[in-house]
Amino acid sequence: MKEILKTKSLSIGYEGKTVVSDIDVTLNEGDIIALVGPNGAGKSTLFKTFSTHIKPVGGTIELFGKDLMTISPKERAKLLGIVLTERPDDMFMKVYDVVAAGRYPYTGMFGKLSENDEKEIKVSLELVGVNHLINRVFNTLSDGEKQKVMIAKAIAQNTPVIMLDEPTAFLDYPSKIELFSLLKKLAKEQHKAILFSSHDLELLLRYTDNLWIIAKNKPFAAGQSSELLKNGVIKEYFGLKDADNQYLLNEIC
Amino acid sequence: MKNRKITFGILGIIIIGIILFILNLFVGSVTVPLEDIFKVLLKENTDNTLNVIIFNYRLPQALTALLAGAALAVAGLLMQTLFRNPLADPSMLGISSGASLGVGIVILLTGAISGTAVSSFGWWSTIGVSLAAFIGAVLVLFVMLAFSSRMKDMTTLIIIGLMIAYLAGSITDILKFFSLKEDIHAFVIWGMGSFSGVGTSKMPIFATSIIIGLFVTFFLSKNLNILLLGEMYAENLGLNIRKNSVIIILVSGYLTAIVTAYCGPIAFVGLAMPHIARFLFKSSDHRLLIPATMLIGMDMALICNLIARMPGFDGNLPVNAVTALIGAPIVISVILKSRK
Repeated sequence: MKEILKTKSLSIGYEGKTVVSDIDVTLNEGDIIALVGPNGAGKSTLFKTFSTHIKPVGGTIELFGKDLMTISPKERAKLLGIVLTERPDDMFMKVYDVVAAGRYPYTGMFGKLSENDEKEIKVSLELVGVNHLINRVFNTLSDGEKQKVMIAKAIAQNTPVIMLDEPTAFLDYPSKIELFSLLKKLAKEQHKAILFSSHDLELLLRYTDNLWIIAKNKPFAAGQSSELLKNGVIKEYFGLKDADNQYLLNEIC
Repeated sequence: MKNRKITFGILGIIIIGIILFILNLFVGSVTVPLEDIFKVLLKENTDNTLNVIIFNYRLPQALTALLAGAALAVAGLLMQTLFRNPLADPSMLGISSGASLGVGIVILLTGAISGTAVSSFGWWSTIGVSLAAFIGAVLVLFVMLAFSSRMKDMTTLIIIGLMIAYLAGSITDILKFFSLKEDIHAFVIWGMGSFSGVGTSKMPIFATSIIIGLFVTFFLSKNLNILLLGEMYAENLGLNIRKNSVIIILVSGYLTAIVTAYCGPIAFVGLAMPHIARFLFKSSDHRLLIPATMLIGMDMALICNLIARMPGFDGNLPVNAVTALIGAPIVISVILKSRK
């Protein structure tokens, strides 16, 4: 498996105040990894660090063997795409415009879209199954539809890595399952490396292979979901009662 | 919206603009018959008074309105997109207040020092006022640029801009308190806004500086479009947020500073015209919104200038008295119509 992103004793935080330290993880091609942890533990901080919105406090992040901070913003835009909980709220912005924004790293000075760009936009919308929404105003969509359009934007951006912050947050149960299978499809068929954060522990244990766990005052943990459950890491990090842990063990393993 | 509809829309706005421009030459305290206007424009006229009225007063005034309207409207569009706030306008940067302070210092201090009103200095006073307004505006602009190059958070930047505006306004008020009556009057008149201050002599420099600024805005459309997604997404798509906001503030501030220097602080155009463009074309694409906003700004400024000089009003009404009076109902009707 091809190694895409690798951190070396990475510490994250704001202005010298470290939130989490000693993160040593690897993201490979085709990986789909869920980042879990309580609110305030540093999930968003890690996302902001990966998207270079903030600088690492210590250590390094390598993307395709290069230090992430030394890659130019334009190059980086072609390597790492993000989907956030934040949504565009312009009154007249169409679904097409949002997905087209994903092609901006590839366009010229005036942002004129080529035939190929137009094709990529359509393919991305088809892949997430919302091509019928192309002419709708983004603001009028449901939460689930918005989420899919934002993912289509990330697909149109055509990056080997996609990171999603809380993509299941506002979705109903069937939409959550649908989203997981979509992410899996992207990882397996498009060979993307996918990292996303979520609170839905039970769903994550069922549908994803690997977890990264962030918790306050505990070392960063990473591993296979079932392993982490069996060796008691999940129980310890989430403060589960014995009975609940046993329930999860019975259900999932 | 279909391409043909867009073309028709733009053409319509241009035709309305041409009609308004001709009306601006035609209407005033002396009504010039339409055929005479064409004679004057084609230089076939021999009546010297008409030549003077049209060439020295009405033509430069209409051109000033046209350019100032386009500049303020597009400056407002840039601010609204940068701050992702529909209520943003060029005054939010504190630039008009900076210009007012500059004018205040010149008008009010010369009075206090020399003991005579600035207006008594004649021609020099108009140059002095424009220069003072420009220096005041540019100083505030540099302060804002210094802040924006250091900050990624737009809300903080808006608050700083507003605080600088209040600060400048407060100092202006203190200056006013210690000033001569005639000077305060001159200051109030400047503050009401007018398109008649440029005239033929200053037109070349005014027009050149505005056209350069307007031209530059076309190169910002791509970056403005990605900004609509929000700063985090824009950054992820390769946009340098701080550099970009410095450029947008610089262009918007430059246009506002020039217009304010020559025409006084003109309100409302910058705030309202971008909304008309958005609702009319139902678009968020700045490659369309930038030219559309400019053209609508031109039309609106020409309407305001026309109303301000209607034959009934002996002399000129201040432009600021008319902009919102005419503009607000237009904005409301466009919004209501597009909701149907």
